[in-house]
Amino acid sequence: MAREQIFVGLEIGTTKICVIVAEGRNDGTINILGVGETPSRGVRKGEIVDLSTVSDCVREALLDAEDKTNVEIGNVWVAITGSHLRSFNNRGTFILPEDRDEIVDEDLQTVEINAKEVALPSANSFLHTIIQSYHVDGNENILSPVGMAGSRLEADFHIIHGVKTRIQNTLRCIESLKLGIEDVVLSSLASALVVLTQQQKDLGALVIDMGGGTTDYLIYLDGAVRHSGVLALGGDHITNDISIGLRLPIARAEVLKIQEGSAADPDQVEGGTITLKNDPGFHGCEIDRKALNTIIHHRVREIFELIRNDVEAGHDGMLSMLGAGVMITGGCARLRDIAPVAEEIFDLPVQLTRAKEVGGSTQTFENPQFSTAIGLTKYAMAVSDNQPEESLMQRFAQGLGGLFKRRS
Amino acid sequence: MKNTNQKSVLVGIGNAGVSVLDRIAVEHPSIKETLVINTEGASLSASVTARRIAFPPCQDGDLSEGFLAIEEEFMAAIEGAPAVIFCGALGGELGSFLIPALAARAKADGITTLASVGIPFSFEGRQKREIADAALRKLHDLCDGVALIDNDRLAGGVPSTAAVGEAFVAADRALQFSMLALRGMLSTSGPVRITRADLAGSLGIAGAMTHFGHGMAKGANRLHEALEEMLRSPLLTIAGKGSALKEAATVLLLLSGPADLSFAEVQRTVSEIERVAGDRCLVKVGVLADGYADDPLEIYLLAGSGGGSRKATPPAPTKTATPVTQSSSKSAEEWPPARSQPSLDEARAAKSKKSSAAQQTQGVLNLETYQRGRFDKSEPTIVEGEDLDIPTFLRKGIKLVSPFRH
Repeated sequence: MAREQIFVGLEIGTTKICVIVAEGRNDGTINILGVGETPSRGVRKGEIVDLSTVSDCVREALLDAEDKTNVEIGNVWVAITGSHLRSFNNRGTFILPEDRDEIVDEDLQTVEINAKEVALPSANSFLHTIIQSYHVDGNENILSPVGMAGSRLEADFHIIHGVKTRIQNTLRCIESLKLGIEDVVLSSLASALVVLTQQQKDLGALVIDMGGGTTDYLIYLDGAVRHSGVLALGGDHITNDISIGLRLPIARAEVLKIQEGSAADPDQVEGGTITLKNDPGFHGCEIDRKALNTIIHHRVREIFELIRNDVEAGHDGMLSMLGAGVMITGGCARLRDIAPVAEEIFDLPVQLTRAKEVGGSTQTFENPQFSTAIGLTKYAMAVSDNQPEESLMQRFAQGLGGLFKRRS
Repeated sequence: MKNTNQKSVLVGIGNAGVSVLDRIAVEHPSIKETLVINTEGASLSASVTARRIAFPPCQDGDLSEGFLAIEEEFMAAIEGAPAVIFCGALGGELGSFLIPALAARAKADGITTLASVGIPFSFEGRQKREIADAALRKLHDLCDGVALIDNDRLAGGVPSTAAVGEAFVAADRALQFSMLALRGMLSTSGPVRITRADLAGSLGIAGAMTHFGHGMAKGANRLHEALEEMLRSPLLTIAGKGSALKEAATVLLLLSGPADLSFAEVQRTVSEIERVAGDRCLVKVGVLADGYADDPLEIYLLAGSGGGSRKATPPAPTKTATPVTQSSSKSAEEWPPARSQPSLDEARAAKSKKSSAAQQTQGVLNLETYQRGRFDKSEPTIVEGEDLDIPTFLRKGIKLVSPFRH
């Protein structure tokens, strides 16, 4: 049974930094209390390049969230992304001692350790080891083997790792604000937790979270994570392409993308012109709509093709097994006509989606930009639910738990 | 660039030539085959170049007397050299006279002669430009190849607020790199090399400007950075048109660097140039991979256009070396030369071009420029050797209609 508890998710994105304060309800749902948000500076392609500037932005976002929710924030769950993150699937095996034939909790930990016995690059460290399924004496897809009789326990894991120092930069930024860090979570994993229902996870779905600096993607199939990846390409690249192609300042290109841009195939939509008015320091001009759409279409198409190629390279035929299709979330999900492009590339049904089974501020959970940050709170709740009551109490006693309290 | 067994001699003429050769002497001390010739003065006495020849003062401005006085010393200095590469600024008295004269003398002895020369800035006056044009016509007659650098185009890379001296430094720097490029190309050997015929073919077109690029970088991302720097060279850009490569008929490419210079890097460079220059352009590549492990990767590019971008009239069809004394006295009679008038056919062609341009309401954007925009300073996103920070439409060569400015 879930305990009523407050969780704070922090996403340090390339275009925005957002803090979601949410309350875990007894019925297992999340109620958003409020969101703190500030434009991001010092982050490129999802990674911190200017620590002090980012710290300032995070502080602003935290204060904003505290003001809006009346919650004093002590600990946060942090999303992480970046092109340095890599993933693979691996199987761990454990042979039970001859004097024992019942599987116990410790065996699950041992088999996980065995699955991690792989030679990572020396600069890398593990971020997640996500269970896919257990196998006991050849009996496949066991959900919970504890208590079962057996002599050989095997487990498949999806393992995510990244460059240690790059992950540490995010942690240092938060620690410089005297905040506690509960855990670091892969962005796409957090997003998938709130945009997919359990049924979709079982049927199989590809979640694509297109942000400003990166595009994170993750595949659920048979209720488990099968594949994940990060492309250091996102909405900023679309804006940059427009800026270069149409010779516009970046800020103008960003507005043009949001207000007029479409990812539709330029040969299949009507042309025409878009008039940009004079501004101080900017001479007005007329933009050919077809040129704008051509730029956007080819970039979006390329991103989807890269994802498709990556998935097919690792798991031939997996895409065709995804019964629930493709879910697109993140800021770029709001780009016009993005879904038909994805449908063409993946040959799957595509949905533009946002956080589900969430209560509270409608404006927040209906905005796909916040999927990751909301997902962090969902992840936090899931992890807390799995903690034994005593253990959690001990963590509080040791000052390691969620130190959230209402200010009044 | 490490010295090789080739002994092409670099010859700097006049103040500009001395300045360029001094830079080479300081920055590339392994290059010993250098010679400067200038009138007596501070420039020559302070020069650090290995060999110096003082051009004597001449009565009544007859420079042929001075030429005869130094001819023997010059020939002794270049003895045994398979090639001589001259360098200097045209438009001045000494360079405009002596470079063609010495080139003819060396050519008469069967030595390959190349020249890398600068055309004066517009602000140096019309007379200088006319003198330079006349000297250039002679050079095209006498040399196997001429790399022509228009100083005005260099001005694009110098801030408008910069001191005049900085513009000349930029001009010297361009001449320096073109000298090193020509020397390096002549030094290439083995299966990936540039022959003298390649050089002559690319640089032998009268009136054609040489578009020139240079990039240099070290480290894991050296190829990308060197390519980017090279493609951004001011001399590779034509005002209002973008990259000069799209008009290039031939491109000579030299990759010089440490011994670990890989085949993949050469291949990547060539494919990038071919992508920008288009299918009609003939790309020839030479490799000098004999540097030390910590040497940078340098990419030199010389692109020859179809010719006629300057208004110099075509040279006489003869390619035989003119006797020096005759050449010099004749040239003295011609100066200042009359301004060349475009022929009726040229005028018709120009009018026709202007007319067709006027019919277009919107131009077509130049897409060949190598741009990363806001990601210029970011770690590049490379997937399968492709820099994905460069706009997709550029990499795929998709043409766009440019914005119509009010």
